[in-house]
Amino acid sequence: MIKVSNLSKSFAVYHKEPGLMGSLRGLFIRKSSIKYALHDVSLEVHPGEILGLIGANGAGKTTLVKILSGIMHPTSGEVSILGFKPWERSNQYRRQMSLIMGQKSQVWWDLPALDSFLLLKEIYQIDDETYQFNIDYLSKTLGIADHLKTQVRKLSLGERMKVELMAALLHNPKVIFLDEPTIGLDITSQKAVREFLKDYQRKYNPIMILTSHYMEDIKELCSRINIIRKGEMIYDGPLSHIQKLTGDTKHLKVTTKDGELEFTIPRENLAIKTKEIFESHEVIDLNIQDPSIEDIIDQILKHGLQKQ
Amino acid sequence: MKGLASVISMEFRKILAYRSDFWVTFIGQTLIQLIVARSLWQSIFESNQVESMQGFDLNMITLYYLLVPIGTRILAGQNIGFLSREIYDGTFTRYLIYPVNVFVYKSTTYLTHSLFYCFQLFFIYLIYQIIFGGMTFHPEQLFLGVLIFFVASICYMFLCMMVELIALWADNVWTLMVMLKFFVTFFGGGIIPMDFFPLWSQKILALTPFPYLISLPVKTMMGLMPLNESITGIGVLIVWSCIFLGMLQLLWSKGQKSYTGVGI
Repeated sequence: MIKVSNLSKSFAVYHKEPGLMGSLRGLFIRKSSIKYALHDVSLEVHPGEILGLIGANGAGKTTLVKILSGIMHPTSGEVSILGFKPWERSNQYRRQMSLIMGQKSQVWWDLPALDSFLLLKEIYQIDDETYQFNIDYLSKTLGIADHLKTQVRKLSLGERMKVELMAALLHNPKVIFLDEPTIGLDITSQKAVREFLKDYQRKYNPIMILTSHYMEDIKELCSRINIIRKGEMIYDGPLSHIQKLTGDTKHLKVTTKDGELEFTIPRENLAIKTKEIFESHEVIDLNIQDPSIEDIIDQILKHGLQKQ
Repeated sequence: MKGLASVISMEFRKILAYRSDFWVTFIGQTLIQLIVARSLWQSIFESNQVESMQGFDLNMITLYYLLVPIGTRILAGQNIGFLSREIYDGTFTRYLIYPVNVFVYKSTTYLTHSLFYCFQLFFIYLIYQIIFGGMTFHPEQLFLGVLIFFVASICYMFLCMMVELIALWADNVWTLMVMLKFFVTFFGGGIIPMDFFPLWSQKILALTPFPYLISLPVKTMMGLMPLNESITGIGVLIVWSCIFLGMLQLLWSKGQKSYTGVGI
C-alpha cells in the first residue's frame, strides 16, 4: 500500500536574463526564486489499483513520482510504500518497485535488450525459471520477441518503449510507476501498450501510478484519478465522477444557415436557451451533448475547481 | 559477487560493441603515440648530441612515453563525465532505482575499463620489447607496475568521483574535470618525467598523490624504481584512496538530497 501524508517539495530556481548582457550579469549576480512543486499532498493507493495522475506540464506529477520512486527527497511530509520510505532506497524496497519513464531510457543503448535483461536478472536476483518465464511472457505479449537481439538504439520508438516495459517488469514488481509510458508512440503502439498494461494488471495485481497527457490512457487504465494543479491535489476520486464537479451542464452545437454556434449551459436553462435559439436563428441542425471528460479536465486545469 | 561479474561482463561487452573503435583504441592510438614519441625524442637527442638525458636513453624515453598514455588510460578508466554527465542528463536515475549501490556499480564499470587497458599495457609492452629489444624483460617489474597502476586507478577514481559529484550542485563540471586531468598528468610526470623537475618541487609533490599515479608505476615497469619505494608507493596510494573515499561519502550524503533527476 502507498500512503502519502502532507508531502511538500520546493526547489530554488535560478533565472537568467536573455541576451549576452544577461549572460555576463549571470556570471556575478544570480537571481533565484522558490518553486513549490508539491504542496501538502496526501493520498493512498491500494494493491490492485491504478491511480492516474493528471495535471498540466509543471503541475508536479513527475515530482511526485520521483519522490515515490526514491529518486528525490521531499522537503517535508511522510511517505510509506510497502512499509518503506522510498528515499532511503533500501534494496528491499527497490526490488519490489519499478519506474517506467517514457522520456528516459533505462536500458543500455549500445547493447541488445537481452544483454540488459541478463544484467537486470543479476541485479534483481531473479531465478532462472522466473526469468525465462517472464522473458517469454513479456516478449510474446508485447510482440517484441524478434527484436531482443538488436542493439536498443537501433529500435523504433515503440519497440524501445516495449523493451523498457520488459526491463521494468522482469522482476514482478509490486509497485509500478509509469511516467508517460505512451508518449510519442503511434496510435497502434499506444493501444498495444495499454492492452499489455491492462493484462499485466489483471494477472499480477500490482499498485500502479500512471501519469499521462493522453486521456485515452487514463480512461482505459485508471479506476481513480488525482488532479494536480500548481503542486496541489484538487481532486481525488473516480474518473466517472469528474462530470459532477463542474455542475450539471450541457453542450449545445447548433448549425444555422449563417454557420455553427456552440454553447455550454446549465441543464435547467436548456429549454429556455433552445427556444431562444430557434426564435433567433434559422436552425438546420441541433446537437445536445454532455461535455467531454477532456473538456472538463481542461477547464479544471486552467481555472481550478472553485471557478467552475 | 555474481552481480559484480555480470556488471564486468556487461562493461566488456560495451567495450567490444563497436569493432572499429575497439581496434583504433587498442592499436591505432598507441602506434601513433609510439611514432611521435620516437621521432620527437630522436631529434632532441640528435640535436643535443647526447646519448642520454637525466638517466634516460632513447629507448627508455620512448618506452616512457609509450607507457604514460596507456597508464593514463588505466587511471582514467571511463571517460571524463562518467558520473557528472549522467547527473546532468538524468541517466544517473537508473542507479537510484535499481537495487544496487551506485558507487559499487560505477566503481566496477570504471575499473573494468582500467582492467581492459591493463591488458593493452601488457600487450604494448611485449610488442615494444620485440621491436626495440635492447632492454632485458623483467616480468616481475611489469606485473608490479601494472598492479600499481591498478591501485592508482582506484585512488584516481575516488578523486574523480568527488569532483564529478559537484555536478549535483553545479550541473556542469567539465572544466573542473579537464583541470584535474591536466594537474594529474603534469604533476604526475605524464608530460615530462619527474626527474626533469627541480628537486625542491619533487619534494613538495611527494606530499601529494600525483607522483604515485603515473611516474611511480611507469618507472617501476622500466626497472627505475627500487622495490621498497614501489611498495611504499602502494601504501601511500591506499592512504590517499581512503581519504578520498571518506570525502566522497561525505559529499554524497549531502549531495544526494540535491539530485532532482532532470531530463525525466
